[in-house]
Amino acid sequence: MSPVLLIAKDEWRYWLRSNLAVYSALLFLLLLVVTSVITVSEIHSKAQHLEHDQNQAEEAFVDQPARHPHRMVHYGHYVFRTPLPLSLFDPGLDAVTGKAIFLEGHRQNSATFSDSAASAELGGLAWLTPAVVYQLFAPLLIILLGHGAIARERESATLMPMLAQGLGGRTLLLGKSLALLAAICVLLIPMVIAMGIAVANGALFSASISLLAIYFIYLCIWGVLTLWASSLMQSRATGLASLVSAWLLFSLVMPAALINWVAKQHPMPGKIETDMAMLEEARKLGDGHNANDPAFAQLRAQLLEQYDVENVEDLPVNVRGIVAQYGEEKLTKTLNEYAQQQAAGEARQAQLLQNMSWLSPTVALGLASRAMAGTDLHHYQLFLKAAEQLRFDFVQGLNKLHAEEVTYNDDVNKYGSAEQQARARVDASNWRLLDEFEFHPQGTSARWGQSTVTLAVLVVWLLGLTSAMFFQAGRLQR
Amino acid sequence: MNLMANMRRESTLMLRDRAVIAWAGVIFLLAVYAVWVGMAEVKQQRESITWLLQQDTLERDAALTHQSDYGGVAYYSFHLTYDEPSNLAFAAMGLRDETAWKHRVRMLALEGQIYERDAGNPVFALIGRLDFAFLMAVVWPLALIMLLHDLKSSERVAGRYNLLVATAAQQSALWVSRALLRAGLLLVVAVLPFVTGALLSGASLLAIVLVLAMVIIYAVFWLLVCYWLASWQQPSPTILAANLGVWLLLAVVIPLAGRITIDQLVPLPSGSEILMTQREAVNDAWDLPKQDTFDAFVATHPQWQEQAKVGQGFQWDWYYAFQQVGDQKTQALSDAYRDGRLHRHALAGLVAWVAPPALLERSMQRIAQTDLKSVITYESKIREFHAQLRQFYYPLLFGDGAFDADNLQQRPNFSLTHSNDS
Repeated sequence: MSPVLLIAKDEWRYWLRSNLAVYSALLFLLLLVVTSVITVSEIHSKAQHLEHDQNQAEEAFVDQPARHPHRMVHYGHYVFRTPLPLSLFDPGLDAVTGKAIFLEGHRQNSATFSDSAASAELGGLAWLTPAVVYQLFAPLLIILLGHGAIARERESATLMPMLAQGLGGRTLLLGKSLALLAAICVLLIPMVIAMGIAVANGALFSASISLLAIYFIYLCIWGVLTLWASSLMQSRATGLASLVSAWLLFSLVMPAALINWVAKQHPMPGKIETDMAMLEEARKLGDGHNANDPAFAQLRAQLLEQYDVENVEDLPVNVRGIVAQYGEEKLTKTLNEYAQQQAAGEARQAQLLQNMSWLSPTVALGLASRAMAGTDLHHYQLFLKAAEQLRFDFVQGLNKLHAEEVTYNDDVNKYGSAEQQARARVDASNWRLLDEFEFHPQGTSARWGQSTVTLAVLVVWLLGLTSAMFFQAGRLQR
Repeated sequence: MNLMANMRRESTLMLRDRAVIAWAGVIFLLAVYAVWVGMAEVKQQRESITWLLQQDTLERDAALTHQSDYGGVAYYSFHLTYDEPSNLAFAAMGLRDETAWKHRVRMLALEGQIYERDAGNPVFALIGRLDFAFLMAVVWPLALIMLLHDLKSSERVAGRYNLLVATAAQQSALWVSRALLRAGLLLVVAVLPFVTGALLSGASLLAIVLVLAMVIIYAVFWLLVCYWLASWQQPSPTILAANLGVWLLLAVVIPLAGRITIDQLVPLPSGSEILMTQREAVNDAWDLPKQDTFDAFVATHPQWQEQAKVGQGFQWDWYYAFQQVGDQKTQALSDAYRDGRLHRHALAGLVAWVAPPALLERSMQRIAQTDLKSVITYESKIREFHAQLRQFYYPLLFGDGAFDADNLQQRPNFSLTHSNDS
C-alpha cells in the first residue's frame, strides 16, 4: 500500500479511537438530521398550503358573479410565493420575505406576511437549516478532526523520526489530506440524500449537483486551512485555538459585520420613500378613475376624431374603458420604473456584499448557495416581477372588457335602478381571462452566472490555502 | 499572599499574554464598529422619517386641491405612520430589518392595508446585523471561551501547574483572580463603546444601567461555565470542544428546538385567510343592498342611525360604512393573529430562561423597543390613529354640511413616542 494511503488509514484509525472526534461527529450528524427533517417537513407543508391558497384565490376570482369589469379590477387577485424544491436544503430568503401579494388596479402592493416576523423570537441562530449547518458547523467539525493531524505527531515526537526515515513532508500532508477529504465526503452524504429528495420533487438536477460541488469546495477550504494551521503550529492546543478563532471571525462575525458595512456604505430609501417621489409624477398623469381629468382631454379628442363623431356617447367604444386602459398603462410604466430603481438598489447592496465576500468564504458560500438553490434576492425579485406582469395583464384584460362590453350610457348609469345596474355588468365567464400564476425560476447556467464572483472567491481561497499548505509541507523536513 | 497582591501579579502576567491582548483588541474593535454603525443607522432612519413627514404633508395638500367632497379627500389622503427608533435602538436593532417601521394608511378598510410591509433588503434580515446585542450574546462568550478554556490545562502542559499550586497560599484565589481578570478585561472593552454610544444617543440612565446589569450577569454566567469546565482534568482541546458544545446547546440547539415547538404549539391564522376574508367582506358589500351595510354599521355606531340613509347612486357615507363593516368582519381573525404572535413571544420568553444568549438578546431588544411587543404596539398605534381618522370623518360624511376645506385642519396626525428616552 502506498505511504499516502497508509497515512490516511492511520488517521482514520486515530479518529475512530478518539472520543473527541467521535462525539463531535455524532453531534454534528444529529444536528444535521434534525434540521433536515424539520426543514423538509416545514417546506413541504408550507408548499402545500401556499399551493392550496393559490388555487383558492384563482377559483375565487373566476367564480365571481357577473359584474362591472372595474369592480373586478378592485376585487383584485392574490399571488402566493410557493417554495422551490431546493429550498428544502437552503430556504434562503424564504423565511424573511413576504408570502402573499395582493394584485389590484392602480397599485403595486408589497409582499406581506413573512414567517420570521410572526415566529417565536429566539435569535437568528434559531433559524437553522441544513444549509446553515453545513455553512457554520461543518467547518467546526473539520477543525476538531484535523487540527491535530501534524501537530499531534510533533507533540508525541513521532514527526521527526517519520521524516528522518525518508517520508517526505508533502507525502505526509497528502496522506492527511486524503483522510480529511474522505471525512468531508462522508459529511456530505446527508446532503447528497437531501439533493436526491429535492430532485425527486422537481429540482433541477444540474443545479443540485452544482450546489453539492460548491459545498464540497467550501469544506475543502476549511480542511486545507486546518491542515496548514496544524503543520504550522507547535502544539495541538494553539493550533485548535487559532483555528476556532478563525472560524469565529470568518463564519460568525464577518457576515454580520459585512451587512453593517453595506448598510452604511449604500443606504437605500425604502419603498415608501420611492412611492412618495413617484406619486408626484403619477399625479401629473391624471387619475384613471375620472374620464374628465384634463390629462385625458387629448385622448378623448383623438378618439372623437378617429371615429368621426361629435360626442363620446356616440363612440363605438366606451371612453371610460379606454381611459382606464390608457391610465393603467401610463401609471404602470411609472410604477415599474420606480420598482426597478428599488430593485436595482437592493441588487447593488447584494453586489457590494458579494464583492466583500473575498474576506470570508462563509459569506461567499452563503451567497452562492442561495443563488444556486433559487432562494436568493434575484429570485425574489423575479417573483415580484412575475406577479406584477400577472397584475398588469388581468387589469388590462378587464379594462378592455370595460371599453368593449359596457356601453358608455350603461356605464354612466351603473348606480341607477336594478335594471340599469344589471346592464352595466359583463358575464361571469369573462373572469376566465385571469392567467394561472406560474413562476419560472432561472436555469442552472443563469444561476452560475449569478454566482461568478462568489465561486471565484471560493476557488481562489482553496488554491491559495492549498499552495500555502504544500509550501509549509516542504519546510517540515527542515 | 492575599487576593489583591494576586490580582496585581496576575494582571501584569495577563498583559503579557498575546492571546488576551488580541481578543481584547478584537472585541473592542467589533464593539466600536457595532455601536458606530448602529448609531449611523438610527440617524438614517430618523432622517428618513423627517423627510417622509414633509413629503407626506405636501402630498396630502396636493391631493386636496382636486377634491370637492369629504369622501374624495379621505380616499386620496394617505397619512404617514412611523415607529421612530428609540435612543437605544442602535444597540439592538431587533425586528427593525424584517418588519415595517413606516407605513402609510388611509381611511379605507384598515385590514387591507396594515399588513403591507416596507421592509428593507431581505438579505439584511436574513444574515442579521452585527449590533451590540449580537456581539454580546453570541460572539462574546466564544471569545471568553477562547481565553479561559486552557486556564489550568496550559499550565499543566507547561509543567508549571504543581509549582503554581504549591506556591500559592490559596490555590483557588490564583485561578479565580486569573479568570476574573480575563473576563473583566473582555467585558470592559465590550461595554465601553456601548456606554459611550448610549450617552451620545441620549438614552436614559436607567436603561443604560439595566443593560449593563444584564450584560454583567450574563458575563458572570459564562465565566462560571468556563471556570467549571477549565477545572476538568483533560487536555485543552477536549475542554475547548466541551465549551463549544455548551455554547452550541445554549445559543443554537435550545433556541431552534424552542422556536419549532412553539410555532407548532401556537398556530396562527394564515395570512391568506386574513387577506381573503377582508377582501370578500369589503367586495361583497357592492352587491348587497345598501341597507344591509348600514344596518351592520349602525349596530356598532348607533349615533349615525338617523343619518345612515340609503340614497340614489353612489354615496361616500355608504362606501366608508362598508369599509368599516369589512374591518369588523375580519376583526376576529386579526385579533387571533395578534394574540397568537404575542403568545408565541411570551412562550419564547420562557424558553429563553434556559438559553441565556437568546435571553440577553430579547431583553436588550425589549429595552431598545425593537422586539415583537414594540412591533405590535406600533400596529395598535396605527389602529388607534385609523380609528381617530374615522371619528374625524364620520361627522363630515354623514352630516349635511357643504364641503369646506377649513374643516380639515382639525384632522388628526399620527404621533408615537418612546417611553425610556431621556
